[in-house]
Amino acid sequence: MKETNLGRRDFLKALGVAGAGVLAATSPWLSAFSEVSHTAKDRCRIGVIGPGSRGQFLMGFLAQNPKADIVAIADVYQPSIDGALKIAPKAKVYKDYRRLLADPEVDGVIVATPLNTHYGIVMDAFDAGKHVYCEKTIGYTMEECFNMYERHLSSGRLFFTGQQRLFDPRYIKVMDLVHQGTFGKISAVNAYWNRNGDWRREVPDPSLEKFINWRLYGESSRGLMSELGCHQLQIGTWAFGKLPDRVMGHGGITFWKDGREVHDNVHCIFGYDTGESLTYGSVISNKFYGLEEKIMGNLGTVEPESGKYYFEEVAPAPAFLQMVNSWENALFEEIPFAGTSWAPETANVNKGEFILGERPKTDGTSLLVDAFVEAVITGKQPARIAEEGYYASLLCLWGHKAIETGQVLPFPEEYKIDYAAYGTKKNNPTDTDTLA
Amino acid sequence: MKDIVLTGRRQKKELLYLLGSFVAANLFNLGAILYYGSPMTEMFTSFFYVLVFTLFIYALTLIPRLLYNLLRKKRATN
Repeated sequence: MKETNLGRRDFLKALGVAGAGVLAATSPWLSAFSEVSHTAKDRCRIGVIGPGSRGQFLMGFLAQNPKADIVAIADVYQPSIDGALKIAPKAKVYKDYRRLLADPEVDGVIVATPLNTHYGIVMDAFDAGKHVYCEKTIGYTMEECFNMYERHLSSGRLFFTGQQRLFDPRYIKVMDLVHQGTFGKISAVNAYWNRNGDWRREVPDPSLEKFINWRLYGESSRGLMSELGCHQLQIGTWAFGKLPDRVMGHGGITFWKDGREVHDNVHCIFGYDTGESLTYGSVISNKFYGLEEKIMGNLGTVEPESGKYYFEEVAPAPAFLQMVNSWENALFEEIPFAGTSWAPETANVNKGEFILGERPKTDGTSLLVDAFVEAVITGKQPARIAEEGYYASLLCLWGHKAIETGQVLPFPEEYKIDYAAYGTKKNNPTDTDTLA
Repeated sequence: MKDIVLTGRRQKKELLYLLGSFVAANLFNLGAILYYGSPMTEMFTSFFYVLVFTLFIYALTLIPRLLYNLLRKKRATN
């Protein structure tokens, strides 16, 4: 997908607000832009570890940002290095990421490597005093995620995660409306991401199969839950403003029986102690319903991916038109024979309204990268951004565990963090023996 | 081609028909507002619908009047 680079001015204009401060309650991480005018002449130096397809996508935004210099890249795969050098020709090239981390000219790093390698790289980066932007899902296990978050706190270094919807104007506006009660009591969030494709990448040599198609193998990936679900589960917690307390799930390989180890269809139900539910499903052998998160309140429904909302009660047509319509019906309508009894539900034609008054233009990635650049310059961690990323990762890994075990799992209390938005932890995880 | 002459009396008569159609259309709108429980502001906001309906009613009145005039003309020639 081609991404539009949305400037801060356009971003605020899209939200229809005078300044980011207006949305501080719903999206406090927007404080990343609070000093944007004071940092106009400042620059920061970024290293990119794992400049593959996603890494290069992020580099594209860095290259357009006058406040960022891509000074180094690290990768073991030459085609990725070659592609990255086209975006940042002056960047130093390292085969070993540890040498990049030892480079004093690097202020912050973007980590866009396979999931199972995040932990070691991010922990080393914090130890080396670098600020970190890590692609989602941040860790391969919940324990890894917890340790990464704790190291972020103890090191005092910035920690951003690849949850771009946090900076998507549609989602920011939607969450503001949801939290104001515009759509009434939210009882369910139904998220899904469907595709019709094998999710494979071309492999130049069979020996590189697991290296290139790491998403398909259990040793390096949690499959659809970690690669797709992570984005959408965060929308559920953001909308409800709290964490679920149990999860059940199911998954299987039903269509793409090509040697892969991760499921090609997964479904999870996350339940809340107050009765609400967050469901997530992903099927990669049918794309009809595509991608969406349906936020369902008693007064309305929001579909942020398509950028629209729908109120349950649609304003009636003018009385005059209703009268003409009733005459028309009386004259021409066929008499129904054995019609469906649920016609009122299926026949609901409601075209909805665009959240920002127009079709979506961006998914927030450019602004997330810009926010990281701003934060590296100021050295200030925007509120709640690490925590949202942490819990998004935790939820997808917890859901994956429920699928793997086939059990209804309670929320792992030992991995709760002090995060007022979703309640504080009951135990002190640092005291538990479950952590390595 | 023969000129069509609209006398002042005819013009006045047609304007009265048009006014009558406009009043009738507004009465229909008022009835619909009361029946469907819509706000009275629709007396103004639905003005363009009423205007179109006015022309429709006026056109309807033309048909019997044309027929009546044709019959009267035919009877006079006989």
